[in-house]
Amino acid sequence: MVSSAQARRRLTRWLTFLVLVIVTVIMLYPFYYMIRSSFQSFAQFEQGHGVSWISWEQLFSTLPIMRELANSTVVTIGTVVLILAVSTAGGYAFSKLRFRGSHILFIGVVSTMMVPLQSIIIPEYANMSQVGLVGHYIGAILVYAALGSPFATFLMTTYFRGVPDDLLEAAVVDGLSYAQIFFRIMIPMAIPALFTIAVLQFIQVWDDLLVAMLFLPNPAVRTITVGLATLQAQRIVNVPVLMAGSFVSALPAVIVYLIFQRSLINGLTMGMGK
Amino acid sequence: MPKRVSAARMLDEGATAVPSLVHGTKRVGSLQRQRGRTGVLFAIPIVVLVSFLLLFPIIEAFYYGFTNWNGISAQWVGLATYRQLITSSVFWRVLLNNAVLLVAIPFAIFIPLVVAFLLNQKVPGWKFFRSVYFLPTAVSWVVIGMVSIQFFASNGLLSQALQALGLGGSQAGFLGHSATALAAVAVTFIWSVFGTNTIIFATGMATLSTEVLEAARVDGANAWTAMVHIMIPLLRRFLQFAFIMTLITAFTALFSLIFVMTGGGPGYGTTTLEFFVYQQAFSQGQFGTGAALGTVLFLIVFGISIFQLRLMNEDKY
Repeated sequence: MVSSAQARRRLTRWLTFLVLVIVTVIMLYPFYYMIRSSFQSFAQFEQGHGVSWISWEQLFSTLPIMRELANSTVVTIGTVVLILAVSTAGGYAFSKLRFRGSHILFIGVVSTMMVPLQSIIIPEYANMSQVGLVGHYIGAILVYAALGSPFATFLMTTYFRGVPDDLLEAAVVDGLSYAQIFFRIMIPMAIPALFTIAVLQFIQVWDDLLVAMLFLPNPAVRTITVGLATLQAQRIVNVPVLMAGSFVSALPAVIVYLIFQRSLINGLTMGMGK
Repeated sequence: MPKRVSAARMLDEGATAVPSLVHGTKRVGSLQRQRGRTGVLFAIPIVVLVSFLLLFPIIEAFYYGFTNWNGISAQWVGLATYRQLITSSVFWRVLLNNAVLLVAIPFAIFIPLVVAFLLNQKVPGWKFFRSVYFLPTAVSWVVIGMVSIQFFASNGLLSQALQALGLGGSQAGFLGHSATALAAVAVTFIWSVFGTNTIIFATGMATLSTEVLEAARVDGANAWTAMVHIMIPLLRRFLQFAFIMTLITAFTALFSLIFVMTGGGPGYGTTTLEFFVYQQAFSQGQFGTGAALGTVLFLIVFGISIFQLRLMNEDKY
């Protein structure tokens, strides 16, 4: 009896393993397809076999890939820095420096999390073009920062609430001002939370299409994600080149994901609140 | 004994209150003022950012929905735009597309739930599997859409597989007909959110005490009954969270996917509300209609959020 129960248990584990492998194949196949197709010429792609560098050469010789990568980097890094600055300061104020009306302000800021981008995109665009910021990095950075900051501020406020008040009081007794406490005590303690926010926002902004497409419309400031989507819409570039482009555009965010996976998963569960 | 503990605690609290007694109220008042002032100063950036770039625009969207607006000048038209929308078949078609996409949500919840359960059995390599499943979270909808087009093309993998099974492929590709195109978008959507939801459930299952599950196992429940009767009720919070996130994604995060895969077509076959906002404003120049549609979208998401808050508050009691 015992051995048959054991055999059944072993079989279940094998079946579990098998299902997980099948799911892995389904999840990885698109990436395999992307990479394999990119190493084919258009003719080879049509025939379904063969290997060639030509599509990669075409990608870099005919399209402003490096320029677009640089633009994406500027916009993404700029946004992440702005969000970190604004949300740590706000989180500190809302958690530790309560002033009259601070709770209402906090609720107000957090409730803007539910404003969908598409609902405000038209007035946002009209306002930005009125002040002349469409076509400049700073315009897109501001929009992204506004979209990402409410959640980041929520996370930081929750995080800073966990810091004991005694610690601040001791620092005050030692003669530190509240601003100094922020830079010397709060920020160093918040490094893990800062990583979480940075990784979430990096991926979000790097991968975004709509804001970048509208607010950075000209080729000089175009991001890689927009560049790729425009190519697809124009239908002038063949599939292997598109796949090579897709791979290049996905790579930075995937690398960030692979390195900081832990932070990303933390962020996801932190989103559930306490 | 308990008395002494509480007395000690009182003493402790007294100790932290001592500085204020020693320094006198004047010193404390100035400290509190400094704290308040610093607080205001530190809160200004986020409040300004959110006010100018989120709150003000949503009010504007609401207002411009009642106007005929070309982006520069606007004339008040009252409810005319909304009246027009209600009588337009395209608007209802768009809402229907949104409703059809909601059919994908049970799949986007149930499949990850089962897979998370399997992951939680901790067979060799489960950490690797988890990383792979979560990977699409880092990849843009644009790239996902790009590969998806190839999968659903007339000579794509799906068509070939169906032909091999003798079911016939699709001559025009699955994106060529509105019904199959919408299904293709839905399938891609499920694939994309699979990893995120799996991680949410796996995290939830990791928080459950193994004792409860072991107890059930000893009682003779097999793995499946243990999951249905014990795990799912305990995972309620995680299920709610995943459900709400997926719902909001379905309404507000599929723009790029649709833009790349179908451009909203064929016809209006895959145009959802969020895509319709963009299409009306930036392809047709109907900024007023776009603003009105944006308002409708906002109200839907607002409704979902209120529902979520209700659920969360229910949990507290």
